[in-house]
Amino acid sequence: MGIERDGPPSPPRVTPGGFAFPGTTRSNHTGSWRLERPLYETSASPCHGACPAHEEIPVYLDHLAMDRPREAWESLVAANPIPAVTGRVCPHPCESSCHRGAFDAAVSIHSVERFLGDMALREGWSYPGFDGEKRDEAVAVVGAGPAGLSCAYHLRRFGYRVTLFDALPEAGGNCRVIPDYRLPGEVLSREVERVLAVGIDFRPGTKLGRDLSLEDLEEGFSAVFLAPGRQKNRSYSVDHALPGDLHHGLDLLWEWRNVGTLPRWERAIVVGGGNTAIDLARSLLRTGTREVHVVTDEELPGAPSQPGRGVMPAISREVGMALEEGVRIHPGRRIGRLILREERVVGVELVHALKEIEGQTPVHRAFEGTETVLEADAVIPAVGQEVDPAGIARLLRNRTVLPVLATGQVEGETRIFAGGDACPGGGIVSHAVGSGHHGARMIDALLRKKELSPKTPPTPIPYSSLNRVYFERRPAFALQEAPPEARDGFSEIETTGPLPLLRQEADRCFSCGHCLECDNCWTLCPDGAVLKTGGRSDLPVPYVFDYDYCKGCGLCARECPSGHIRMVPEP
Amino acid sequence: MTSSEPPSPSVDWAALRNSQPRFSGMESGHGACQGCGQALATRLVLEAAGPDVIVANATGCLEIFTTPWPQSAWTVPWIHSLFENAAAVAAGIEVALRAQGRKTRVLAFAGDGGTFDIGFQALSGMLERNHDVLFVCFDNEAYMNTGIQRSGSTPHGAWTNTSPAGKVRQGKRHFKKDLLAIIAAHGIPYAATASVAYPSDLRTKVRRGLDIEGPSFLLVHSPCPLGWGHDSALTVAVDRLAVETGLFPVLEMERGHVVETMKIRNPRPVREYLELQIRFQHLLGDSPEAREEREHLQALADANIERYGLRAEAPGPRDSEGADTVRRGGSRWG
Ligand SMILES: Cc1cc2nc3c(=O)[nH]c(=O)nc-3n(C[C@H](O)[C@H](O)[C@H](O)COP(=O)(O)OP(=O)(O)OC[C@H]3O[C@@H](n4cnc5c(N)ncnc54)[C@H](O)[C@@H]3O)c2cc1C
Ligand SMILES: Cc1ncc(C[n+]2csc(CCOP(=O)(O)OP(=O)(O)O)c2C)c(N)n1
Ligand code: SF4
Ligand code: SF4
Ligand code: SF4
Ligand SMILES: [Mg+2]
Repeated sequence: MGIERDGPPSPPRVTPGGFAFPGTTRSNHTGSWRLERPLYETSASPCHGACPAHEEIPVYLDHLAMDRPREAWESLVAANPIPAVTGRVCPHPCESSCHRGAFDAAVSIHSVERFLGDMALREGWSYPGFDGEKRDEAVAVVGAGPAGLSCAYHLRRFGYRVTLFDALPEAGGNCRVIPDYRLPGEVLSREVERVLAVGIDFRPGTKLGRDLSLEDLEEGFSAVFLAPGRQKNRSYSVDHALPGDLHHGLDLLWEWRNVGTLPRWERAIVVGGGNTAIDLARSLLRTGTREVHVVTDEELPGAPSQPGRGVMPAISREVGMALEEGVRIHPGRRIGRLILREERVVGVELVHALKEIEGQTPVHRAFEGTETVLEADAVIPAVGQEVDPAGIARLLRNRTVLPVLATGQVEGETRIFAGGDACPGGGIVSHAVGSGHHGARMIDALLRKKELSPKTPPTPIPYSSLNRVYFERRPAFALQEAPPEARDGFSEIETTGPLPLLRQEADRCFSCGHCLECDNCWTLCPDGAVLKTGGRSDLPVPYVFDYDYCKGCGLCARECPSGHIRMVPEP
Repeated sequence: MTSSEPPSPSVDWAALRNSQPRFSGMESGHGACQGCGQALATRLVLEAAGPDVIVANATGCLEIFTTPWPQSAWTVPWIHSLFENAAAVAAGIEVALRAQGRKTRVLAFAGDGGTFDIGFQALSGMLERNHDVLFVCFDNEAYMNTGIQRSGSTPHGAWTNTSPAGKVRQGKRHFKKDLLAIIAAHGIPYAATASVAYPSDLRTKVRRGLDIEGPSFLLVHSPCPLGWGHDSALTVAVDRLAVETGLFPVLEMERGHVVETMKIRNPRPVREYLELQIRFQHLLGDSPEAREEREHLQALADANIERYGLRAEAPGPRDSEGADTVRRGGSRWG
């Protein structure tokens, strides 16, 4: 570009190739520097892994936090059709695993679950997801407790025709005997009715083994799901002695539910450490029995004094409330002898005892020389139930529970599945719901001639993957609990709060492994390589990485509060 | 919200990029190091300033990494003249715009070298002549672009190539220049400090500086993974610690008076900050010298906390832990 000093200016001389058009740095694909790339990828939350009903907890908490209660409920019932029930009675293992617990206090997941369940009942919301493909095959479900109801519900969602049998005149299973002070019968009925209304052919009063046989079902249906629970009282005696007027605990609870009466005693002793024992004890106190004692050779819930010691299987919170209400619990004791006059109980001999779990089998031990006497006018065993072999003896083969494979199939069977309390493990409603869902998925796979592949539980995202600096400590929501002296009769002890409080509680969720759409990654990328998609239909995620420019610094992953971004080596 | 597929070829990436709900004054494809705090800070400053600006940029990393000839990352009018004169160039532009009756805002960008040291007299003149310019210093505490030499801003004890650590000296002997006090002495309407760890606060201060008539000054602490020797993923984490230890006070001044500070809810030990950076590694050992310098740095941090009253009495929404807590849907980002 020489300048002529003399004469007119000449056009600049430019060496060929010695110039360039101005351009934007966008043409530098600095993404080529990258050694690791961020992935925008959902990981499992610990609560999801711990929820026996496999609820996508952070997803519905997010909906509620963003003031979308209906979407929250719809997401919830995609796993569990009876959240108003589980929100009340589930011992919520989700909360024990909640990462927020290590930060301030676990999210009160069950409060939100219960709130959404109640809101749906109040608003009359109906289940989404029933307008898909219809299938010709018919499936039989036996037992209309939570396991059977859940299986039938999910099979209907998948499009199958479903017939649901129950020996009793009403659906609900053992949830029916959970007393009103913690699960109002009305709430249970309304959720159960809503499930039945999804087009389930419900046949109450029809008992397998009496009104129909397993062979009938195998013949009439493409697949069978058995969910009979455990209805047979485990036999009970003390050295072969029995009170003359022997009542079993569960039978008394049924009597209370169906007839509305309970005997009044001066001093009743309930034997056993489970929910039946505790609920019966509390119900007896409420209906006029003067003193109620619970005797169990197990320890009170909480950390066992030594590993391997049996702990009362009743829900710990309920044991606490029973104590508050005046139930007297004698842990580490058993009844050594019944003191009878004629056939009438006048007292018992209590003896120090313990239960140890060695392998699968519990060992009960009692220690001579430690006897004391407790006067009483009733001894009521509540020592557990077994599967009633009626109609399924062929499958049980002398076992007390139905053996099932990971696929939900009964051992040795192809078209017969089982779930809920009738199978090993479980013992709570949410587990029954989850096993019913699992059964439905496996039956669907069988009928579509696909491989029956049970989901392996996903590894939850570790606490260390969350960036906690973005969260503030905030007190957790707690249901209002009537103090013991105000707990009159059978009205519900706990009451919920208003929507804004529950929204706030949902907002406490870290959203472990799930995007909060907080914009951190979008805001903090020094290379502008995170783009918002703004709900575009061709991009079903809220953010994408533009790998043309992402240098792989890892800042987004580090500053992602929820651990949703993961760095992986460049392929 | 499930998983990201590799970028789908059917997506029109340029269109998506052009439709982002924010102003992009500095484009991607610039050549800053991975995780560069200064690149992040610049993007944030321009997002807050908007398109109607002219930028005068001193020599330094920012100038170099945004303009690999013949390309430019800038989508706003931008000029680079010299290392020492960003403030003078900006002042000239401001006067010219004023003469034309135009409302376009003028920004001057410089590194700490171009602000604390070689650009200082031009800056002082600009402030003294009351030019309506927002001068932003991206403080990465050394001359990074020429290979990590100490500047007047390099903190005491930090290693650089010209303040090495050895038997005699433990990194830089002198202290970080108290530039803010000097700026305060000019009595300008608005001066502030900010950190890339608190983007909302940073952007608010940019807007305040531009809204106020007359000269304003913003010191943005901008970690440099290369020069400080920290993991590129830790740029924000390191800077949060700079604030939460008290080593880098975040505050606002009007007419030389401190009017607002970002309170520290839980002051962190200086050691946590040092541990993340190679420039302070020599201070982590057990030798008496290392221990003494560590204690010295802790004392400097404590002195800042005392001098500016940085300790939070009760948790607040704008303190060091409340300022950028998460909001679903991104609604916290101002
Ligand atoms: C007093 C009490 C309190 C409890 N409290 C809690 C609690 O707080 N939280 C909790 O999570 N869980 C609690 N449980 C346990 C919970 O109720 C059970 O885990 C759950 O109901 C099991 O569900 P399921 O569907 O497997 O069986 P079930 O609920 O027992 O239902 C089985 C159904 O099958 C029917 N049936 C059985 N045999 C046949 C047959 N041959 N033909 C036709 N129908 C048949 C029965 O009539 C019944 O309706 C409690 C249980 C009791 C007894
Ligand atoms: C007068 C002059 N002296 C020296 C240089 C060489 N030089 C270019 S950039 C730079 C350092 C810039 O440091 P700083 O202002 O802190 O910006 P950074 O690169 O750290 O962002 C130096 C010394 C120059 N360009 N001009
Ligand atoms: S914080 Fe939320 S996602 Fe994480 S475990 Fe708790 S409820 Fe689940
Ligand atoms: S930083 Fe926020 S917006 Fe980005 S992936 Fe993580 S949670 Fe989602
Ligand atoms: S040397 Fe430091 S300031 Fe310069 S581009 Fe790299 S990270 Fe940014
Ligand atoms: Mg510098």
